[in-house]
Amino acid sequence: MVIISSIKNPKTISLLFRYFRNVRYSTNVSSFSTKSITPSVLLPNCCRNFPRYDPLVNYSLKNIVRSSSYCCNLRNCAKTHEIQASRTYKSTMPPTFLQKSPQEIVERCISENKVFIFSKSFCPFCFKVKAIFRSERIGFDALELDLIENGAEIQEALFAKSGQKTVPNVYINGEHVGGSDKVQELHSKGELITLLNPKTHSYDYDYIVIGGGSGGLASSKEAARLGAKVAVCDFVKPTPIGTTWGLGGTCVNVGCIPKKLMHQAAILGHDLKDSREFGWSTPEKPEHNWNTMVEGIQNHIGSLNWGYRVALRDKKIDYLNAFATFVDEHTIKTVDKKGKEKTLTSNNFLIAVGGRPRYPDIPGAKEFGITSDDIFSLPYSPGKTLLVGASYISLECAGFLHGLGYDVTVMVRSILLRGFDRQMSEKIGEIMEQMGVKFLRETIPTSVERIEEGQPGKLKVTAKTRSGGQVVDEYNTVVFAIGRDPFISELGLENIGVQLAKSGKIVVDKREVSSVSNVYAVGDVIDGGLELTPVAIQAGKLLARRLYGNGKELMDYVNVPTTVFTAIEYGCCGLSEEAAVEKFGEANIDVYHSNFWPLEFTVAHRPENDCYAKLVVLRKEGEEFVIGFHYLGPNAGEVTQGFSIALKLNATKSDFDNLVGIHPTCAEVFTTLTITKRSGKDVASQGC
Amino acid sequence: MVNKFTVEGFESFIEKAEALKSTGKPTYVLFSGSKDPATGKSWCPDCVVADPVINNVLDKLESEDVNFLYVSVGPRTFWKDQSNPFRTDLRTKLKSVPTLFKYGSSKRLEERQCSNPNLVEMLFED
Ligand SMILES: Cc1cc2nc3c(=O)[nH]c(=O)nc-3n(C[C@H](O)[C@H](O)[C@H](O)COP(=O)(O)OP(=O)(O)OC[C@H]3O[C@@H](n4cnc5c(N)ncnc54)[C@H](O)[C@@H]3O)c2cc1C
Repeated sequence: MVIISSIKNPKTISLLFRYFRNVRYSTNVSSFSTKSITPSVLLPNCCRNFPRYDPLVNYSLKNIVRSSSYCCNLRNCAKTHEIQASRTYKSTMPPTFLQKSPQEIVERCISENKVFIFSKSFCPFCFKVKAIFRSERIGFDALELDLIENGAEIQEALFAKSGQKTVPNVYINGEHVGGSDKVQELHSKGELITLLNPKTHSYDYDYIVIGGGSGGLASSKEAARLGAKVAVCDFVKPTPIGTTWGLGGTCVNVGCIPKKLMHQAAILGHDLKDSREFGWSTPEKPEHNWNTMVEGIQNHIGSLNWGYRVALRDKKIDYLNAFATFVDEHTIKTVDKKGKEKTLTSNNFLIAVGGRPRYPDIPGAKEFGITSDDIFSLPYSPGKTLLVGASYISLECAGFLHGLGYDVTVMVRSILLRGFDRQMSEKIGEIMEQMGVKFLRETIPTSVERIEEGQPGKLKVTAKTRSGGQVVDEYNTVVFAIGRDPFISELGLENIGVQLAKSGKIVVDKREVSSVSNVYAVGDVIDGGLELTPVAIQAGKLLARRLYGNGKELMDYVNVPTTVFTAIEYGCCGLSEEAAVEKFGEANIDVYHSNFWPLEFTVAHRPENDCYAKLVVLRKEGEEFVIGFHYLGPNAGEVTQGFSIALKLNATKSDFDNLVGIHPTCAEVFTTLTITKRSGKDVASQGC
Repeated sequence: MVNKFTVEGFESFIEKAEALKSTGKPTYVLFSGSKDPATGKSWCPDCVVADPVINNVLDKLESEDVNFLYVSVGPRTFWKDQSNPFRTDLRTKLKSVPTLFKYGSSKRLEERQCSNPNLVEMLFED
């Protein structure tokens, strides 16, 4: 096992072995003699982040040694993908670092690291101090003096410098803090964080966050926790028909939350139907009241809006319900509802303004159409509805509206769910069609006219098909869900020169910095990101930790699980079948799959072959690594969330096979997949 | 001007709150543990702390035309009964005292939040 050649400590070897457990190397590691080992540098806290074996990387001897030395030479620990991404490794502290004079080592450790702990690997006080920093999620670097040859000399040099003989010996921002007692004292008084971020500028704020949605709120709260002075500007421009909402952004007000709740309303409807087969005397056609549902959902949202305001106020974050525009790179102008203007300055800015639904450029679209921004608070029942677009938002809305009993048509230009696995997407379309949702394929609307006022009124929609035909029909409600655009046209980005990508979104590097060095961006507004709430939250938090908590960790955009809450739910993680084949070649990819019939469906006489599971595997090093997980069936979000950790940990197909199922569940199908697509065998479900 | 009212018990609360609501003015309600007639103090320590804080904010509010209703939820034994109407009724759904809320909205503060002047001020804003 090549890695070991550069690291000569039994502990490290065991660590490496743990992290590389997925690799079956031909050399037998246990035969490696540990007797002749002279202790070398070992940073246990740092090795925690030792890169895992990643099947997507071609490890050469060189880059394994590099990544290991990367980790063990006082360099900031980086996660695998960072090493992969750059592939070029530049060390500020080359392996020869520890051959320098003890004085120089001490000086450099202190000056080159914001938080530094001189430590001994066996010392319980050192452990305690590290635990404090970890619990505060403050990043630190450490040197274990007992694990290096010149540890004693370094400790001497440290004594000469700090007047402190023992370890731990902690430095923050180049200043000597002290040992374990001192750190604990500062911690209990809440002063540790003050040391971390001394005031270095005279702006009004350290951090102004523009956009109080998923990403912005998470980042502002984390930054405030770490002692930064923070303000959040959040303002909702009304939709063309005048809908507005409170603090919290898209997800809470007009996205995930009301969507999932309406989906739930539809599921209940379906379950009510099933319930008759299970002996309940439910009416054959239970009535649904749109307004009751909307009121319940909006009340819940109202309490969330208020909860966010309380949280901000509680954390001493200034909240401005005002629209922000950049004046220069340290200044914004804000305008509130009443037109009152304010000018605020800040050292750093976060742009987390998200996006808004796009309208097609056709007559009547904005006058008579609505979008997902309006549907969840619509004060009247929508009636016969046309959804325009093949996005997940369109299909999800179609799913719950149909489930609530409305006549629903979906008009799509080309394929369903672009970007998702093709087979799964088409299957969703087929199932929805079987359920009774109408699809108008290869069709785009050309005009919307109102032919009757009312709530809902009556609209005439004219559309054209690809083949040149014309389709005219009447609906009560038309919902456009053809995509979302970043909400930046009035942000004044031109005043500071923030670079935009072709997509119109903000270009950021992997640290989420825009082309202007003190302006950051996260969430739906960044180019190449993922438009998901937990992604915006995680990116926002990690960014705040890097800015104010000496954090090093970058947002990992790989293997993010997600679920589409269509009438039949679809959860996935990792690569689609197409993406896997394109990336690794058809010969190296296998697809294990199966239909399944959930137990709940049997008595209720629901279709036998709607539900489907597949794993996309990469054949490599004699193993089959699972690089794509796809599930179509009930509770897809719950199932996918759990399994996604397996993909994060680079699980193999045999790991899935070794897993014992929970019976009777849907998820257990993944422990028994044996048929590959290549085999051509039938996967239609046979029942239990 | 703040119009202050005091009631005791659930029935009188609902009656008064509905009457105040019909004035069209914003109505704020504070639910507290009832005061011991001997000491003049509520049995609930958080209520004792919250009282002056809330009164302070109300004093500063002088110019605004709002209703403020102080509700004694009853003695400790009554309150601790999980099936008392303050806890179960959909219009109150109280989880703790003190609770301060704007009647008919989702805006509410609970327990220690009621003694944070910052949060109390925010509740009375807009
Ligand atoms: C219908 C729908 C369903 C969805 N379902 C899911 C789901 O199930 N799961 C999931 O993970 N994600 C879902 N999403 C996506 C999710 O909502 C977004 O990814 C997430 O909200 C993005 O967060 P953000 O912080 O980037 O921005 P947002 O949450 O959009 O917040 C941005 C905020 O900034 C404000 N703002 C904009 N410009 C300014 C300015 N100049 N000054 C002041 N304020 C400004 C906006 O008004 C908004 O409040 C859904 C989205 C939609 C539309």
